[in-house]
Amino acid sequence: MSHTVLVVEDDVDIRQALIEILEDHGFGTLGARDGADALDILSRAAELPCVILLDLMMPVMDGATFRQAQRNDPRLASIPVVLLSAYRDVEKHAAPLDAVSVLRKPPSVRELVTVLRSHC
Amino acid sequence: MTSSPSDTEIAANPEPSETASPRSIDERFRALVSSVKDYAIFMLDPSGKIETWNAGAERTKGYLAEEIIGQHMSRFYTPEDLARGLPAKLLAQAIRDGRVESEGWRVRKDGTRFWADVVITALVDDAGRLIGFAKVTRDLTERLHAQEEQLRLAHAEEAVRLRDEFLSIAAHELRTPLSALQLQLQGLLERPEGIDSRIRAKLERACRSGDRMVTLVDALLDVSRITSGSFNLSASRFDLADAVEDVVERFREHAVRAGSTVTVRAERGLEGRWDRLRIEQVVTNLLTNALKYAAGTPVEIDLSGTEQDVIISVADEGPGIPESEKERIFLRFERAAPMRNFGGLGLGLYVARQITEAHGGEISLASDRPRGAQFLIRLPRAHLPGSTG
Repeated sequence: MSHTVLVVEDDVDIRQALIEILEDHGFGTLGARDGADALDILSRAAELPCVILLDLMMPVMDGATFRQAQRNDPRLASIPVVLLSAYRDVEKHAAPLDAVSVLRKPPSVRELVTVLRSHC
Repeated sequence: MTSSPSDTEIAANPEPSETASPRSIDERFRALVSSVKDYAIFMLDPSGKIETWNAGAERTKGYLAEEIIGQHMSRFYTPEDLARGLPAKLLAQAIRDGRVESEGWRVRKDGTRFWADVVITALVDDAGRLIGFAKVTRDLTERLHAQEEQLRLAHAEEAVRLRDEFLSIAAHELRTPLSALQLQLQGLLERPEGIDSRIRAKLERACRSGDRMVTLVDALLDVSRITSGSFNLSASRFDLADAVEDVVERFREHAVRAGSTVTVRAERGLEGRWDRLRIEQVVTNLLTNALKYAAGTPVEIDLSGTEQDVIISVADEGPGIPESEKERIFLRFERAAPMRNFGGLGLGLYVARQITEAHGGEISLASDRPRGAQFLIRLPRAHLPGSTG
């Protein structure tokens, strides 16, 4: 099973921090700057990630639109998605997206690692 | 009312006639004009001197007929308008165009000014020679003040709207780099290979500062959601005591630093449908205030319930809140203590009240306490049917 996490986050500093934390804790990582970039990376990936860490608010293609496209693609549909959002009521935004878990920005490292490990 | 000689004549002979002669109609019309109180209506000779005076003129300008008849109309103008020759210009324009209308400040007998709408009509005889002017003046001062007040109100509302918009943008913009900063700090703290204990202590302090900044920025975001109407609640069923205990547990270290003990007393069975995160936020805000303003004194949280409602009481033994401040402290950007002594944005109680009221409840301050402050929150158990705005 893959140990790679796809981090979809538009803010480069947050994306880089998440990637470094995950790599420090033994994960492989892929980074995408928005939903469209993520779909492109997934279409070219030889090995699919074990989980997608998905921001909700992004330019070009937001998290909800990406999730819809991912669920409609049989090759990608089964990859679990963990949502990441600055919303205080992030759970409410997560419900219609059928995410396996939701984390509020910034998540604690322990919480982040624990949640992602349970899917990888 | 002061009347001209001709008015007195009319008033002395007031019998109506079914077949009024042209002359009596003219006289009745003059009587009508003389009695009008809301408009100053009077005649000028061709040079601008006053020839007649009515009740409205007396009321508007303050002169009796005998004081003003024969005087030049320039007497009503301000020194500034006199300096630029306005009276003569208006008369000249009335002669040229038949009439002239202008608005501006005029001066009463007592020297006070009023905002006037003035119409001057040139009067000519059958041969087209100027025989004088009719001047109608209306006092629009009240309307002007009402318009100015409306304008001031509109400016104030716009300023508040711009402030809220700025706060919303600033809060959103601050939140993202703050998240990145906290992730970096946490990433360092949680490195699997461990870190030097002195660096760890510094990083932990930096993280705590970051947490405080997140709390402040989140309060601003909450306010912008409340003011823009996008403040939504997600209801779920839970026991209030569990939520309050969770908050108090998170505040253990904070309470120790403040030198306060926090005690929770809860009845059993305090279940209801509320937005858990928001209720925790209310308790958090009250507890934060108690630990800030009443540091060093014990804080007691009592939870009780009836069939319909639950009551949260948060009491401290600090300086308390004066009676005169009890409403003000729930307003935006207000605080119980002077800003120079305590930091913060003054949003905690405002947000707490908005959340409580969105749940159909109310928040108040208990009175008759010998010392300290006691906040009481009443929450209906089942106000929220599901997710609601």
